[in-house]
Amino acid sequence: MPDWSQYVRQNLQLSNLRPERETEIVEDLAGQLDQAYAEALVRGLTSEQAEAVAMQHVADWAGLANELLRSQRGRESAVTILQHQAEDRDAARRGRFSLLTDFRQDVLYALRILAKSPGFTAIAILTLALGIGANTAIFSLIDAVMLRSLPVRDPQQLVIMQWAMHHGPKTHSSSSYGDCLTNFGDGESSGCSLSKPFLEDVRAKTNVFSGLAAFASSGPVNLSGNGPATQAHAQYVSGDYFETLGVRAAAGRVFQPSDDTPSSNAVVVLNYGYWKSEFGADPSAIGKTIHLQNLPFTIVGVAERSFINLTPGNTYDLWIPLAQRPRLRAGWNPRQDDAGSWWMVAVARLRPGMSRTQAQGAVSLLFRNDVLYGEKPLSKAEDDPKITLLPAQTGLSGSRRRLSKPLYVLMLAVGIVLLIACANVAGLMLARAAGRQKEIAVRLAIGASRGRIVRQLLTESLTISFAGGLLGIALAFGSARALLAFLTSTFTRPTGFSAEIDPRVLAFTAGASILTGILFGLAPALRSMRVDLTPALKENARLSGRAGAGRGWFNSGNALVVAQVALTVVVLVGAGLLVHTLENLRKIDPGFDTSNTLNFGVDATLTQYKGEQLGDFFRQLRDRFGEIPGVLSVSYSSSPLLSGSLSTTGFHLHGKSDEKYSDADMLEVGPDFFKTMKMPLLAGRDFLPPEYRAVARAAGSPCSNASKALTPVAAIVNESFVRAYFSAGNPIGQRFGGGEDLEYPDPNHCNDPGWQIVGIVRDAKYNDLRREVHPTFYVPSGEDGTFELRTAGDPRASISAVRDVLQRSGFDLPLVDIITESKQIDDLLFQERMIARLSSFFGLLALLLACIGLYGLLSYEVARRTREIGIRMALGAQSGDVLRSVVAHGIALAATGAAIGTAASFGVTRFLGSMLYDVKPSDPWTLVAVAALLLLVALAACYVPARRATHVDPLVALRYE
Amino acid sequence: MMFNRELKKGSVEFLVLSLIEARPRHGYEIGKMIEARSKGRIQFRIGSLYPILCRLEDRALISGRWVEKAGQRRRRYYRLTASGRRFLAAQRSAWDEFVLTINHIARTGDA
Repeated sequence: MPDWSQYVRQNLQLSNLRPERETEIVEDLAGQLDQAYAEALVRGLTSEQAEAVAMQHVADWAGLANELLRSQRGRESAVTILQHQAEDRDAARRGRFSLLTDFRQDVLYALRILAKSPGFTAIAILTLALGIGANTAIFSLIDAVMLRSLPVRDPQQLVIMQWAMHHGPKTHSSSSYGDCLTNFGDGESSGCSLSKPFLEDVRAKTNVFSGLAAFASSGPVNLSGNGPATQAHAQYVSGDYFETLGVRAAAGRVFQPSDDTPSSNAVVVLNYGYWKSEFGADPSAIGKTIHLQNLPFTIVGVAERSFINLTPGNTYDLWIPLAQRPRLRAGWNPRQDDAGSWWMVAVARLRPGMSRTQAQGAVSLLFRNDVLYGEKPLSKAEDDPKITLLPAQTGLSGSRRRLSKPLYVLMLAVGIVLLIACANVAGLMLARAAGRQKEIAVRLAIGASRGRIVRQLLTESLTISFAGGLLGIALAFGSARALLAFLTSTFTRPTGFSAEIDPRVLAFTAGASILTGILFGLAPALRSMRVDLTPALKENARLSGRAGAGRGWFNSGNALVVAQVALTVVVLVGAGLLVHTLENLRKIDPGFDTSNTLNFGVDATLTQYKGEQLGDFFRQLRDRFGEIPGVLSVSYSSSPLLSGSLSTTGFHLHGKSDEKYSDADMLEVGPDFFKTMKMPLLAGRDFLPPEYRAVARAAGSPCSNASKALTPVAAIVNESFVRAYFSAGNPIGQRFGGGEDLEYPDPNHCNDPGWQIVGIVRDAKYNDLRREVHPTFYVPSGEDGTFELRTAGDPRASISAVRDVLQRSGFDLPLVDIITESKQIDDLLFQERMIARLSSFFGLLALLLACIGLYGLLSYEVARRTREIGIRMALGAQSGDVLRSVVAHGIALAATGAAIGTAASFGVTRFLGSMLYDVKPSDPWTLVAVAALLLLVALAACYVPARRATHVDPLVALRYE
Repeated sequence: MMFNRELKKGSVEFLVLSLIEARPRHGYEIGKMIEARSKGRIQFRIGSLYPILCRLEDRALISGRWVEKAGQRRRRYYRLTASGRRFLAAQRSAWDEFVLTINHIARTGDA
């Protein structure tokens, strides 16, 4: 017979208890265990078996002791926990895990409850799907454009060299291709183009990189030998480019260092996409000979498929070794390889174990020495020239810069829309929770803990938000691709960006769904914890007193509607400012007539003309184009106006080499340019035919001091140029620029003759609508350019006639970049238009959601206050009074939200800053328009509930419930 | 069928009080009666039930008394106090309400 008292004393550790109480507990437990033992014996079990059965009655002695001690101190939860422990052990023994079981129960319960309210569930899921879907779509764009890793091996080890100094270096030429942030001017300057000698120095004198590759864009090249002649976009790269990046070949091979010497065979590597589209991914393309600028090149390989581009948004059709550049480049100047010519971008791979900071120190020191103390100093010590090694992932910004601000603005807009959607669904949930008060009260009465109820409600809201998230992904999938195609449709080259729903995007969506579910589920869940049992259990508790949104003005229902309205105002004000900006940009007078003008380029490589011959050829083409019926005027220029291209030049104003540099925009133009573009000449004259030939002659031949004619080139300047440099006296006949360039003496000993003003033309925009008109001078074009054709009717009707003229010229010359001037301007404004449209769309979506939220709250309030309204009407209130009180409630909420939203928008719209044009972030007209729209919509939202309130039958209302 | 832990937990006090309403009982007997009357669907082990009895006693809803019978180990019997009877009456009313409401919810299908 076991000694149960001893058994209990041995196992039950009670401390700080009165001895009498401890004895009582021990004896009571021992007695019960003894009974269990006796009963087991009666059932026929052996003594040992009976003992085991009795012992099973208390498995967790420590837990029991805790509970007894706690209960002695008056804590009530102990029972619950101990029971959970006992039952968890039972459940575990039966092979089930209670927590998962509970979760499964919660989810199944949630699904049953939601299925019983299909209308509410559908609205909630759809609302959230719109919000989460919009966020996912925009995030997938941000992922594609801003976050995606460079498609190379170990991209985190790659760096680019970015130079910076307080004033621009005294280079004699520099080129940049949109790879990184470049700012070349008189003030703080930076860029990533460097000279060939410097990069060779880095290779030879530092040991910080395991690979250093250089590249430079070639611009369009004429490609023949694969069907009709076309233009391809090529990039010059060093022989170790692919090796440094870790890019392999999909077919054939990629470049080796031996391909990049002046004596190497001329070879190219194709971009995979180009190989697929132009060569049909035919393996026999490897080894084929094509002609670039009429020079033979052999295709040795195709880059691997994933390597679309290095710099985001800049794609190239093929790669050519740098050593081939002198052969291909027309007008190649040997000075391109000296220290004053910065045209190569470098990307390097850090040696293993080498930190970026260490490498930067070595490279920056070398750079400083080179530019300050090299053969030709390019800067001064006080300008603090230095090099920073930036991670290639962020340093190579490319097209990201163009797209980043619009994308972040959109992300802000859709983020706000999602918050509004959450507030909307929270309002629905709160109203619904009011109707479930009794259910919650009963569950609390039968022993459910408040925590359990909260968990159940949160499970319901997470179920809704996950369903919304799944639907949102489906919505996002199609719209993200379409949106990216829209945003980049005006880019002249394929960007290589692709919006995919990848793991990062899915993780974002899951996170947004969870956050959303918690956000809108928290309010009703927390409210459930404050339910008073007894009143809630009463029969008429459903819609009385403390139900749902709560009493008084400052309750959660009202707060949610005010929040929705405030957020809506922020989005609408932002959208309004962007629309206003678009309108302002559209209204800009560019300074010339943009109607009925066709721009197109003619690739004259096949003619093999140069210098005067080329100039004559273009002037003849111009004459022939002018004979086409319907053509009013023809000209050409080095780049069409408002195409984005810009050429600037620096000069000593009075030709004195000790003067500081002045600068101006410069454009080379053909005959009748100002007549064709309808830019009125305000003084002086247009260029004369001999002046074109003189320019062509001077460009094509070297000169010596003896043979040099010191005749300045004729120039026509704009009003801004006159204001800046010749404000006193008559500018006509005045000279500017010229003189000996002491910094970079011309090896041919030419003295620059400078320019002489022969005419003044009205100010006109040059490359961009937003950019203010700068001092600009126009010079006669000696060679070729892009044609501008002004017609009486639709200029596109003349395209076939233009092609006929080209065919009759004796050469099969391709027409390139054909576009009307008005389409060109449309393209310039495309992004503004897109952003204005999208933000307006999201603004209206936000307004719709807020309107629904307001409608829902007022409807609920009317239903909740039916009895009160009935009483008031029974006591003599008129329909008008009831209507006014409901509408006043709604308008008061809208007005409060509008006031808060307006204040908030001052802060948010500052973020739009540089995207706005000629409109302040606090533009009063926009604020007034938004307030008026909101008022109208709020009135519409109030109308139906207000009408419903006036139709309350006092008798029915008093019998209600 | 084993009942949901919530239901068991919430109802155990009610069960204990109702079982000792008619006459005092000792702890083991209360557990056995619950098991018997529920036909084994609700089971409480000594370790689970005993703290509940202590708690009810601490709240003065029940009071315990040692009873010694010949040939038997002494046992502690529990009976309802006056406040215990009032509490039981309130619980019974709430339970009736609960049953009605659940039936109403379950049969009409409206949450």
